[in-house]
Amino acid sequence: MSEISGMVAADYEAVMPYSKERFANAERQMSELVKSSMQGRKEPVNAMFTRMSDISKMMSKGLLNWGRTNSLWPLQFGLACCAIELMDFGAARMDAERKGFLLFRATPRQCDVMLVAGWVTKSVVPRIKRLYEQMPSPKYVIAFGECATCGGPWWESYNIIKGIDQVLPVDVYVAGCPPRPENLFAALMKLQEKVSGKLAGDTEKGLSENIRRAEGKTL
Amino acid sequence: MGLMRINVGPIHPSTHGVLRLVVDVDGDTIKNVEPHIGFLHRGVEKLCETRMYMQNPSYFEKLDYISPLSWDEIYVSAVEQALGIPVKEAAQWVRVIQLELQRIANHLLWIGTLCNDIGQMFTTFMWAFRDRAQVLKLLEDVSGGRMFYVHLRLGGFQRPLPPDFAERTYNLTDYLERNVLQYRDVLDENPIFTERLRNVGAISERDAIDYGVTGPVLRASGVAEDVRKSKPYYVYDKLDFSIPTGTRGDSLDRYKVRYREIFESIKIIRQCLDMMPNEGDIVGMPIRLIGPPAKPDTVIVSRELPKGEGIIYMVPDKQRPYRVSIRSPGFINLAALPKLSVGAKFADLFAIFGSLDVIFGETDR
Repeated sequence: MSEISGMVAADYEAVMPYSKERFANAERQMSELVKSSMQGRKEPVNAMFTRMSDISKMMSKGLLNWGRTNSLWPLQFGLACCAIELMDFGAARMDAERKGFLLFRATPRQCDVMLVAGWVTKSVVPRIKRLYEQMPSPKYVIAFGECATCGGPWWESYNIIKGIDQVLPVDVYVAGCPPRPENLFAALMKLQEKVSGKLAGDTEKGLSENIRRAEGKTL
Repeated sequence: MGLMRINVGPIHPSTHGVLRLVVDVDGDTIKNVEPHIGFLHRGVEKLCETRMYMQNPSYFEKLDYISPLSWDEIYVSAVEQALGIPVKEAAQWVRVIQLELQRIANHLLWIGTLCNDIGQMFTTFMWAFRDRAQVLKLLEDVSGGRMFYVHLRLGGFQRPLPPDFAERTYNLTDYLERNVLQYRDVLDENPIFTERLRNVGAISERDAIDYGVTGPVLRASGVAEDVRKSKPYYVYDKLDFSIPTGTRGDSLDRYKVRYREIFESIKIIRQCLDMMPNEGDIVGMPIRLIGPPAKPDTVIVSRELPKGEGIIYMVPDKQRPYRVSIRSPGFINLAALPKLSVGAKFADLFAIFGSLDVIFGETDR
């Protein structure tokens, strides 16, 4: 019997090379891991509810992102030359509706995207800030054209701010003087990627997180 | 009932830019309108003083971003007169063709936005932009730029015309004539449209002259004044065209004057294509920063822009303008807005303002 049992034990060891020590080691490691993970908490968390809320958060985030991505409503708000290209974007040649961003709304309270199209003078800055603050969160800004990006041809002018990013957090910059309507299409698709979370930095930036603003370089 | 003060703008979908109107209303009737401008001011005249002559056309194109070529042409003409450089014969004809194409593009956009302003949403807007896109396509193939074509040079153009220019322009005029005639079905013969604009914002002949308005706003009051006829430049004196005028001076007449001007422009373009020399060099001087010294003391150039009469007063220096002063039609026409809209209903305010065709790039400079 002993031989047989010895043989059986040897076979068992050969097939599954585990020992009591190793199991004990794993058990100790696991308990240490759990203890260390619970260190920061005041009371133990119900694992079941944690998991469900995680699932619902993940699901709702994905659903919200999907919805936001496919219904970006721009604010109907033009300043200068680029606004004419904005009108062309809304006209017949560019079928913008197929991507979900045709509805130009005249009130900021219904909009997601602010298209700053044109040069921004010092007297318009408070108005643009006001419009931006009236938009519901999450909100995105596209600097459309050279003037809104960096001041453009008016770099030496005394009344133009050198880029709207001194005032607002800009998500997408569009180069061109003026950019073609196709460029606006591409910019909005880039913004869609950002909203859907494909790019890094998709979290919404607040006014205070603007780097230049934090450095005190605003007007 | 006392007066109530309503603030409109500065950022408003119907102001075509950034304009603030402070309107005093008694009930629904406008008692006073006070336009506040300057939200797009960027100091063009000052910027021009620090640049060489041919670095400036880009600034002048951005004065009126619906018809940029017109302002570009005024400035280049002023420099040509200052430096004493003649325009080549063939280039004069081509400039007239392109200016008239630009006028058509401007009026098409104006018709589209006016219909948006008065609530006839998007049908005419879409049609007008469809037709305007064809004009812009031709000008883009000629110049290289879709909206801002800085292709005028001293004495001519930057580069020769594409070989199929004449044929394409003929086809474009046919296309425009056919499509713009369709507007009559939804606008001219539509009582909703005509009654919305008739007797709205009327200005008499006497008042129009007193307020100094020019362009279609003046011609709608019955004054047949056009710089192309009264002080012909380029080859306009060889061409046969008429000046459309109105009788009542209201918004409907301003629409009709502009609508008929599109056909006059088509007529001018066809005549130019027929009469222009088949072969001729149109390429002007390359941009040279150091040019010949300027001759006269002052230069005043007056042109018929799509929006009215534009004037540039320039004091030339050797290589750069010493002073440039701009008389923009939008600024003067906007000054007549209180006169036009006092007594009208508040709902008609943008039917009046939209008919003036004011653009704020040139109003605020």
